[in-house]
Order: sequence, then structure tokens, then C-alpha cells
Amino acid sequence: MDKLQVTIMPEGLSVEVEKGSTLLDAANAAGITLKSSCGGQGTCGRCAVKVLEGTVNGGDGNMSKAKRAEGYILACTAKVEDGPVTVEFPESSRLSEHQVLLDDSLDEIIKESQVDDFEHSDEAFVKKVQVTMSEPNLMENVDDLSRLSAELKGILGTENITISYNALKTLPAKVREGNWQVTVTCLITDESAEVIRVEPGYVDTPPYGIALDIGTTTVVAALVDLATGKKLRQAGTFNRQAGMGDDVISRIVYTEEEKDGLKEIQDVVIETINDLLEELYAKENIGAEDVSAMMVAANTTMIHLFLGVEPMYIRREPYIPGVCDAPIIKAKELGLHIHEDGSVICFPSVASYVGGDIVSGALLTGIEKQDEFWLFLDIGTNGEMVLGNSDLLMCCACSAGPAFEGGGIAFGMRAMDGAIEKIVIDDEFNVSYATVGNAAPVGICGSGLIDCLSTLRTAGVINRQGKMQDISSDRMREGDEGPEFVLVYADETGIGKDIVITEADIENLIRAKAAVFAGIRIMLSKMELPLEAVSKILIGGGFGNYLNLNDSIRIGLLPDLPAELYSFIGNSSLKGAYMALLSRSVFKHSVELGQSMTYLELSDGNEFYDEYVQAMFLPHTDMSLFPSLED
Amino acid sequence: MAVQILKEKYAQPVRAFKLGNTAEEGGTRGYSLTVGGEGTLPFQHYEGENPNKPIVAMEVNSNKQLDWKDTLVDAIGKDVVADPAKWAQFNKEAGADAIYLKLDSADPDKGGDSPEACAQIAKDVLAAVDLPLIVAGSGNATVDEEVLMAVAEATKGEGLLLGFAETEHYKALVAACLGNGHGIIARSPLDINICKQLNILIGEMNMPMERIVIDPLVSSVGYGIEYAYSIMERGRIGALTGDKTLAMPLIATVGFEAWRQKEAWGTTEEYAEWGEQSQRGPAWEATTAAACLQGGVDILCMRHPDAVKTIKHQIDALMTK
Repeated sequence: MDKLQVTIMPEGLSVEVEKGSTLLDAANAAGITLKSSCGGQGTCGRCAVKVLEGTVNGGDGNMSKAKRAEGYILACTAKVEDGPVTVEFPESSRLSEHQVLLDDSLDEIIKESQVDDFEHSDEAFVKKVQVTMSEPNLMENVDDLSRLSAELKGILGTENITISYNALKTLPAKVREGNWQVTVTCLITDESAEVIRVEPGYVDTPPYGIALDIGTTTVVAALVDLATGKKLRQAGTFNRQAGMGDDVISRIVYTEEEKDGLKEIQDVVIETINDLLEELYAKENIGAEDVSAMMVAANTTMIHLFLGVEPMYIRREPYIPGVCDAPIIKAKELGLHIHEDGSVICFPSVASYVGGDIVSGALLTGIEKQDEFWLFLDIGTNGEMVLGNSDLLMCCACSAGPAFEGGGIAFGMRAMDGAIEKIVIDDEFNVSYATVGNAAPVGICGSGLIDCLSTLRTAGVINRQGKMQDISSDRMREGDEGPEFVLVYADETGIGKDIVITEADIENLIRAKAAVFAGIRIMLSKMELPLEAVSKILIGGGFGNYLNLNDSIRIGLLPDLPAELYSFIGNSSLKGAYMALLSRSVFKHSVELGQSMTYLELSDGNEFYDEYVQAMFLPHTDMSLFPSLED
Repeated sequence: MAVQILKEKYAQPVRAFKLGNTAEEGGTRGYSLTVGGEGTLPFQHYEGENPNKPIVAMEVNSNKQLDWKDTLVDAIGKDVVADPAKWAQFNKEAGADAIYLKLDSADPDKGGDSPEACAQIAKDVLAAVDLPLIVAGSGNATVDEEVLMAVAEATKGEGLLLGFAETEHYKALVAACLGNGHGIIARSPLDINICKQLNILIGEMNMPMERIVIDPLVSSVGYGIEYAYSIMERGRIGALTGDKTLAMPLIATVGFEAWRQKEAWGTTEEYAEWGEQSQRGPAWEATTAAACLQGGVDILCMRHPDAVKTIKHQIDALMTK
């Protein structure tokens, strides 16, 4: 197969790709992630690039005329076929360093919750023990492994000791090097202990573990000292699968339509995770072999893609996942950069659209131990929620869509530098704004969109149906796709064109918020509970921390309840994973927790649709649900 | 021991709407009509108040190329339908409580009358009879806005009911009604949610809720009247149980719906097994109207004099306690 060279500017980076590859493939090969909401279908128009030298074939697809006139083409449809090319990947088409939720209140939240109820040390997944063996002689001639096992039985209190093949190979050398003193790393289960590492002499470094949250959008990892239960460091990045579609469905489609798609999409997430791990190791000055366990919380599709399990049946009626409760897998099987024999433990899922990330979040909240009714919401693409108390837990997923994460919005973006997160509109429809990192605006992020919706409504730019109004302002104009309102004029932006919000964007947002609110209403109605019976609402998800409560109620995303009932718990998925990583009994409890949640399928029956239609109004068709907003 | 009749206790009555202004009220109508105000489901006199009789507004259509079937036109008179003023007088004599003037001629395809010409037609009708008046546009959104504005201004103080406000365009009509003291018909396509949303949107322009009448866009007998009935019933129960955005009187364009169907106009020769058309047509319209009455409709917009006669007889019977 012919290899052709692609040089990427401004870096001047050269990569070789197979003839017929797209420029998007070239970007991936160079480790540059271009924006690609549609997963390379040529429909989102985000991966606009410029060819500086050489020629490519194709490059067509959805892009504004203006952009095309400037010489831009789409990387995902442009194929390299005629010799080397030099292309420019502009900043606006790349995913910049992602702002991922990395709050430091983690320990505080853990303290508030019940992790202290459990004795970590007796329940650890991994133990590192120092062993002194008697030296053999001609009379006492038992083999090395039996000698070690005998000692470990005494220390660990279990009869069933095994050893990994790799540890076994070097065991004779290690015990002698340490002069019959060794430090042994063991994976512990209720019935057995498996030796996976033998270090000569007494080593003081603790066993390490990783708590991992694989989100559809972001991946966050925390490095944990398993001896003390202390979180040492946390790192996050965007999930590079984003280049293969914005939501779980388009990712599944990718695995079906691309050759080796599943392998490819699995490799990409493993790479994403490994890079995060390397970052953590470098900063803490440890090695991959020091980390022996990983606890993974992710939605059902992400777990399938992470493990390489065929995901296609998740999106087909009757929506059956391949696996909910995955077995513990050795790291080497997945190519993860922790100890090769380390355990990779996945949080169990409830159903195709309520995953381990929700079980993990529910674990964190302690919802299953309450006398009163609590509601846990994860406002992401899938919009999962759990309602209940110690007697009963019900969960559902309302597929809000990616709007709150910037998907399907003309200038929507994730919460990166330059994302507008707040706007103010004065009487003359002048707009002022605040951006993430105080950078020049390049788009609008989820919290900004919620603020926008609320502010546009209050200022009279849109009516309660989300329709643009005839206002006397140049900012209101007819765009390519209907009416639009200019938030920032080109000269103030970081992208050289006006940042607008369109009527279609507003409609997408209203759909998203209606889905979440309808989900809440259905759960309450299925349990025959009045809203007032809910004594606490916990909001999780990477997005949860930035959400403005007043705006969210004003647009009818969240129920009209007093602010003191709401708690924002940030990345609940990661925090729950952290808790479970520390204790086998906590993990076992979370497996039971997942099994105790009753899954409510919203696509069954008309009720959800009816509630959804009612919620497609600002704040709601039934205004009596929002008494605090009445004049 | 006597049987105890169970009675439903409702939270609120439907709002009442007053159609037409007399001289004392600043208009020129011979009388005004109040509709709505029900405190219970239709005609459940044992349970609550039904203070106002449903009314019949007979249609006058300004369409120069009227496409009504001959059988219907013949019942009114060819010369009558050519002249809105004459037609209004005919309707009064046929027992109409009010006139429903449909300005189809505003549509460029049906005469293309200017807004001023349309306003003049409304004034002619007001001059011809002293009945309260309901006026609706042609249905062509591009011309109706200006036409209804002109009518609203020209008839200021008469207390008309103007339609149709729909979610896609309601603002101009609300403004026209608000400034000239008229009521407004809020039309939604058999959808409770859109109905409520439209009423909220209209209310937000400071239109008093007492001046809104709901048109749920009913259908005819044989063409889904059951669904229309269930939507009306659901809305009325919602209103009575406290939903302020649904507590308005209802209007239904019964004549338009019934006479679209071949069961109403199909000739005796063609559909012999259906019976005599001259009886079948009015019966079809009257039956549709009767179903609407049971759904809670307060204003019936009708066409055939015989159908009107029948339904008025039924209204009287239903209103007898």
C-alpha cells in the first residue's frame, strides 16, 4: 500500500498515511484531535482545514459559503491520493485543552458520605505485605513458592494463595536478592489472594490504584494511595472518541460502519486513558507497575467500547446490552498502563441507558440509605436520574441529547477557554458576556446556553415558545437557517466571525430541558409522589458544577424547589469510583445497589411524550408548577 | 332513605365572555350576549351553574367565488350569498343569535379585497343587523394581519370577537383586539398544550383572560368528532379543576366542518342509500353541533337554517332544568 506524507501546519509535523486516507485520519495519526461532532460524516462542518500545498480529493460537506470561499475544506471527507500535501489545521477546528471538572472538594465530599463506615484495610482490593521467609537448607527443602505461600497464609488469613505467571518466573531470583525478605503485592478477593508482584527486600511504597470516569465527553482519572485511602492527584482530558461522534449512538454507529471500527474506537479510549495515567505517574514519580487496581465508572456504551464488547444491540430494540456486570479483567488484556496483572474492575450497569456511572454516583450520594426521598440527576447527554430512598429506587434515562454540552448548537462548544458562560442583555439589546479563562469568545458552553436561554427570554428576545421576536435591534437578523441573534460581533471574537444563537439552537435547548423535566415528572408520577416529597436534589455530571440554579429553574430545566434543597456534587461518577476502589465491601454494596434500582423505560407508552410536549415551553405549559416565577 | 346524589365540587367556573356592545356600552348592537361561565360539565344542572345558553352564530362569507355546494346555497338564496348585508339579515330571520363573518375575500385567490374593503364589509354587516358580530380572517396569514387590524379599528367599541390567533402569528391580532376593545379567538389544533401555551402568550401581551375564546379546531361527525370531544372534555375538566389557562368559553366552526363532508352534500341520486340530501345535510351539521354542545362549546358557527333551527330547539331543551 502506498504511503503518502502529510505535513501539518503550523507545527510542521509530518505523518505518513495510507493512500486514500482522509485528512482526519492524518490528524489522528499525528495525535491532533480535530472537532468532529458527526464522527466524520461531513455533516457537522467543524473540521475545516486548508490545503497549503499539494492536492486532495473531496473535502465536500456541510460548510458555510464564506468559509469555503476562504479556501477551507472538510478534513473528514478530503482524501490524500496524489502525493504529499501540506495542510493547515486552524485553532478553531481543534479541540483545545479541555476544561474538565477537577474540583478539590473530593475529600470533603467523601468525608460527608459514608466511606468512613468501612474499614479500608481489611477490605482492600490490593495489599502489599512484607514477608520474611525462613532460609531453606538441605533438611528444610520446600520450594520457594510454597515457602512464600505458607507465610502469606498466616499474614493474609486465607488458605487460597495463587501467583501470576509473570511473578512466578522471577520469584526465585527476587527472594534470594532480598535475602529471604520480600515485599509482595497481592490482589485480594473474599476467597483468595493472588501474588502479582514480588519486590526484593522491604519496600515502603504503598499499593496504588486508579479511579476512572470514562464519560462520553471527558475522561478523568484519580491516583489513589490504597494503603491510606488518600487521593494523591487527579487529571482529566477529553475523550478522544469525540472524533468519532458526539453521543453514544453515533459512536456505536461508528463501530458498525467503519472497518475495524470497534477495535479503533477501543484503542482511542485506551490511549486517552494511558496518556492520563502517564501524566499522573510523571507527576507523582511512580511507575505503571506500582499501580495494581483500576475502578472504572462509565455509561453502558462506554464500558462496551472500553472492553471491546460488541455494542450494536444497545441501540436496537429491545435495547439489550452485552454485559451489565463485567468480570474483573487483567490490565494487560486491555493494554492499560498499570501493572500488567493489575485488576480492572468495572462498575455494574443497570440497563443499556443507565450505566455504572450512575450506580457510582448513586453510591456517592447515599440515596439508598435515606428515609426521605432524594433525587439524583446526572445532567449529561443521556440525562439519567435516580429517585428513591432506602425502600425503593427507580432510575431512568431521558436522552436529553448533547445540547447542554454544546452539541447540535451552531456555536455550541464544550467548556473550554473562550466559551461564553454568561451573558447580560440591556434594554437596548446590547450584549455583554463572560468567557471561560477570560479568553476571546469562540462559542457557547452548556452553562452559557442555559444562561442564554433564560436571559434571552427575560430580555424579550424570545417568547415562551422559544420563537425569536421582532425586536428593534440589528442583532436580530435572518441567517442561513432562520432567525438568529448576534451575541458577539466578529471583531471581538477569537474566530473572526459573529457568534450567534439561532432559533433552531433555542429549539434544541428547549427539547433537552423538556426531556430532563419530563423524566423527573414521570418518575414522580410512577411513584405517586408529589414534588414536595423530594427532600434533596443532587446534581452531578461534569456540568453540574457550573450550573446556575436560578436560570435552570427559570427555563424549566429543574423543578421549582428552594435552593437549599439542591446540592451540586460535581463528578459523582469519579467520586463513587474512588469510594469503591478503597473497599471490596463498598464495591459489593454498589453491585447490590445497581441491582436494587428499578429501571423505568420511558419509550414505553405515551406518558413521557405527553409530559415532554408540556415541558416544551418556558418554563412549562403548566405555569402552576413554577409558582416562584409568577409575577 | 333517599338516594344521595354524588356531586363533583369544582375549583373554579369557566370565565364568561361578553360578545357585542349596546348603545349604553359604547356600541350599536341591539343586545349583548354572555357565554361561558359554566361551573360544571355541560348541562349538569344538578351539580352546578350553567348560567349562559350556548349561542349560534350564523356564517356570512365574503368570498366572491363562494365554493359552497348548491344545496347549501339554495337553502339561503343565490342573491343573498352575493351580498353580506342581505345575508346577515337572512341569518337574523333564520334565528341567528350572532353573525359569524368570514372574510374569505381578503385572500388574493378569493377576491383579494383590500383591508379597507374588508373593514367596509364588516361595517355593512353591522349596519344591516343589530346582532353581535364575530369576524374571522381568510386564513391566508400574509393578508389577514392587516385585514383584521383594519376591521378591528373600523369597528372599535362594538365588542366583536376576532379570529384566528395561532401560535405562529398572534401578536398583531392581539394588539388589534386589545386597542379596540374586542375579544380574540385563540385557535389550537386539538392540542391541550398548544391551547394553553397560546393563551399564556396572549395573556402575556396584557390581554385580559376574560376576552379570550378558545377554538379547539373540531372536526365533523364521522371524521373524528370523538377525538375532538375527548380533547374538549379534557380541557373543560382541566378548567373546572383549576387550570386558569383553559378556563375560557369554546367556539367551534361547525358549519365549515360539517359541509366539507360528502355525507352532508352528497346528492340523493349518487348516495341513495344515505337518504334524502335535503334532510341529511342539515342533520349532519346539527349532529356535529350537538356533539360539540356536549363537549362544552359555547359558540356554534353554523350555516344551514334548518340545522340552526334544530340545534336551537335542542339547546332550549338542554337548558331546561
